[in-house]
Amino acid sequence: MSIYSTLIAAPLLFAVLVFVGTRRVRDVLSAIFIVILGALSLSNIFSFNAPLEMSLPETFHVLFILIDVAVLAYFLWQGALLKHAYVIFFALVQILLYGAVMFLSPSIVSGDIFVDDISAVMLLVINIVGGIIIVYALEYIENEEFTSLKKNGFIAMLFFFLAVMNFIVCTNNIEIFFLLFELTTLCSYILIAYRGDALSRKNALQALWMNQIGGIAILAALIFSILQYDTVYFDVLIANSNPLYLLPIVLLAIAAFVKGASIPFDKWLLGAMVAPTPVSAILHSATMVKIAPYLMLKLAPAMSGFVSLTITLIGTFVFFSASLLALSKDYFKEILGLSTIALLGLMMALAAIGTPEAVTACLVLIVFHAISKALLFLQAGILEKNFHLKYVDDINGLVNHAPLVVFFIVIGFASLTLPPFGAFIAKFMAIESIAGEIIHNPLYAFALIFLALGSVFLTLLYFKVVTKLFAKDADVKSRHVEISKFYTIPSFLLVFLLLIGMYISFERAFLSSLEIVVPLVLIALIPALFSLLLFKKAHRVKEYNCGEKDDIQLSMYYFHMPRRVQITLTILATLGMWILLLGTIV
Amino acid sequence: MIEILLIVCAPLIGGLIYGLERKMRARMQNRQGPPLLQPFYDMWKLIDKQAFIINPYHTILGMMHFISLWMVVAFIILGENLLYVIFLHLLSSIFLILAGFSVKSIYSHIGSNRELLAILAYEPILIMLGVGFFILNGSFDISVIRENSPALASLFLLFLAFLMLIPIKLKKSPFDASEAHQEIVGGVEIEFSGVFFEFLYMAKWLEYIFIYLLLMLFAGDNILLGTGLFAIVFFLVNLVDNATARIKMSHLLKIVLGIGLTLGMCNLIGLSYV
Amino acid sequence: MFNLKKYRKKSPWILHYNAGSCNGCDIEILASLAPKYDLERFGVVNTGNPKQSDIFLVTGPVTLRSRERLVELYMQMPEPKVVVAVGSCSCTGGVFRDMYNVEDGVDRYIPVDVYIPGCAVSPELIIDGLVQGLEILEQKTKEMEKPLKLFKESTCEEGIVNRRDTALKVGKIDEKN
Ligand code: SF4
Repeated sequence: MSIYSTLIAAPLLFAVLVFVGTRRVRDVLSAIFIVILGALSLSNIFSFNAPLEMSLPETFHVLFILIDVAVLAYFLWQGALLKHAYVIFFALVQILLYGAVMFLSPSIVSGDIFVDDISAVMLLVINIVGGIIIVYALEYIENEEFTSLKKNGFIAMLFFFLAVMNFIVCTNNIEIFFLLFELTTLCSYILIAYRGDALSRKNALQALWMNQIGGIAILAALIFSILQYDTVYFDVLIANSNPLYLLPIVLLAIAAFVKGASIPFDKWLLGAMVAPTPVSAILHSATMVKIAPYLMLKLAPAMSGFVSLTITLIGTFVFFSASLLALSKDYFKEILGLSTIALLGLMMALAAIGTPEAVTACLVLIVFHAISKALLFLQAGILEKNFHLKYVDDINGLVNHAPLVVFFIVIGFASLTLPPFGAFIAKFMAIESIAGEIIHNPLYAFALIFLALGSVFLTLLYFKVVTKLFAKDADVKSRHVEISKFYTIPSFLLVFLLLIGMYISFERAFLSSLEIVVPLVLIALIPALFSLLLFKKAHRVKEYNCGEKDDIQLSMYYFHMPRRVQITLTILATLGMWILLLGTIV
Repeated sequence: MIEILLIVCAPLIGGLIYGLERKMRARMQNRQGPPLLQPFYDMWKLIDKQAFIINPYHTILGMMHFISLWMVVAFIILGENLLYVIFLHLLSSIFLILAGFSVKSIYSHIGSNRELLAILAYEPILIMLGVGFFILNGSFDISVIRENSPALASLFLLFLAFLMLIPIKLKKSPFDASEAHQEIVGGVEIEFSGVFFEFLYMAKWLEYIFIYLLLMLFAGDNILLGTGLFAIVFFLVNLVDNATARIKMSHLLKIVLGIGLTLGMCNLIGLSYV
Repeated sequence: MFNLKKYRKKSPWILHYNAGSCNGCDIEILASLAPKYDLERFGVVNTGNPKQSDIFLVTGPVTLRSRERLVELYMQMPEPKVVVAVGSCSCTGGVFRDMYNVEDGVDRYIPVDVYIPGCAVSPELIIDGLVQGLEILEQKTKEMEKPLKLFKESTCEEGIVNRRDTALKVGKIDEKN
């Protein structure tokens, strides 16, 4: 128990501590805290044997209600202040629903805190990957032009975020879950609006109202759960779930779709790009969006065949359409963002299938996606800060200037698609588990097609970017740009994590040893060949150009995506959600 | 033991098939055609040529394409996981594409681009094929598939879909836009020359082995059927190659994805009902 | 041991370049690749890529616009390589000789190994020329192995290598030119 309270309390404490002392003190303290958090989450997973369940004292509950009211009031205030109709409306609805929840008193009680092995894995991801991103953020924020108070506030906010996330994966009480859900919404709202310009405000408000829909879904789920099951606890709800009364489960699933930025709700995550890059990194990899698959994993045992099938289809459809949409983009962070949305869709689909294999695949994907995405976003930040590059089209021949960054980007993308990295194994197992479902229900064949197409699109997308990096001109003199150590060290740590992950997949024997060793050898062969073969005897020549001597300029190719397609995809995804909701009600 | 021997000899066998194919295509056009060992003469000549390179990345990635493709073939012969083989094959294609993009050559870029689009066309069908075998045999292991009875009848629609992607992989008309000799001068392979081109040339032979080994899986444990299938399909592919003209990449995508996915879907849905 | 070296010349890949010809010879070249004459039985492949070809088939009298490309293509072919001038106009300028916009013949810019005269050349002559080109190709391969020999055996007049004298001539050059 003490581990979990430390995990939750320590970042909270530090969020306050950040404001005292100079920058140096702050940096050293943060590093120490992050190491402690990481060590705690590690020791937790090693010493983990049985799920832990316990209750919180009554005073906490009162405190939580107060915070909840305060947060909702803040949303209302912000809405009124910035004159945003949606925000005001949703905040009012939330307050009303919350009042209704307060009046109902369920009788079946259970523990407020419940930590199982899934939570343990989540804790690991949140603290280690999140911690590494914060280390990076320490340096990043110093290069921005803000007052030191605001800089410290930024770091404090990130720590606060960690605390909330740590709590959310431990909680068993849907009321507390709602509170934390709203707190993450609050955090993301503040972080997205951090820069304070018009665009940031607009996108922050967008993120706010979209996430409020999720909050409303949770509140509705709460009400139905109390009415139908007489409880506010996840474990009771799931243990007693009745295929006829699945509304609370489905509503929670919709909240997950909102948090996971699935297609109709994808705008908020893409809008979050305006914030400083560490925010994107932490939103996309370790926190916030990972609530979605986590919630799905929690709900999976309670799902009936229909619900599970529909969620799987929606999830894989989102995977397919987000990766298709990403093909037409050339803003680096947007590409990363859409691929996050796609992979989240896949994670939710896998969680909804709920077979042990699918759950493992989902967890593996959560872990490795977090690491790879964090790595990629860190590189996006470096590109912006050191090279002032935002668009993929401009990163032409980056290998001449920053081989290290190119190395990280290539590893990041490769680890999302190719053997023997973790995400590949997850995709592999995903296909296996969907194939297993097709035997029972042929409709899963659609999920398979979406998955197959989506994964090919993603490969196409990633290598479209990677190939851009390699376009090396013969004449350009290499000009290496110094990159701060605080940028490279977190990246190296993440690569190291990827390698450890590979070792784990070795241990757990997801693939035969030959199947893991061969691609590793193949990848190791490239640098080996580079050092062995110097091509001294070979003649260096120019490219074949039909005998012309003109200089040519090569740019990246685009896939034109008519707006029509985008709208159709959104409509289809929305339709899927309605089918899910109405199908359950009927 | 025999497997090791097969793996080592795979490029040679591929060369023979390629030679046979050139001969056969010539006979279909009513000409004499090159000798059976022509591919090996080509190899022999290429050794003597002066070696040109553009930059080391390009050359090394080309070599990696060959090596990883050889690994793919080895995995099939050893009877490993089919799905894994498909993804490893993807890796080897990615090496080739990266090689194509790593030089500043227009044709190479267009070729790589088309190669990527070709992957988009055939990869989903390959995955569906793997799933089809999985539903039938309860396992992705090629060794299991080889021990079971022929899957040709139950996977007939997928077999048809698979037939469509043989020309894509072997760069045959009507689906050879990604290589397109004369039009984009061989696409990806344009900047390779001399000894370094040999790797690409051999990789082409290995593609033959790869695709025909996959074809043989439809015959399961029936070697006779497998040989028959090989002979018939080999003939058919060359016949179609001689009889059709190249089509555009976008048409290729539409035709292969449209027809292939529909066939695959019908087959998978049918399988789960049976 | 049987001699492996003799197999070297069994795979000539050609690059065909039109240096301003009237297309008469190009059609003949294609005809000789087509089923009736079937050049592929000698292992000939029309690659269209200088980096992978051994024999450079040039047609046309080399117009001013095309000469740079001609040289560029020649430079991009790896050794050993053989240049075959196909058609009268690429040998000497042919009907275009002494015109303001053409250079008279390919050999003003690149060394030619085999001349195939005729306006237009017949496919038989092309085949004959190519087969003779193969001999030279083999010889050149040998020469590449012994670089010193290359200097000793070539006829040198005042430091200028006169390729036209050492080159093989197929048939008879048209008297009119
Ligand atoms: S030799 Fe005669 S036929 Fe041939 S290209 Fe010249 S002008 Fe035309």
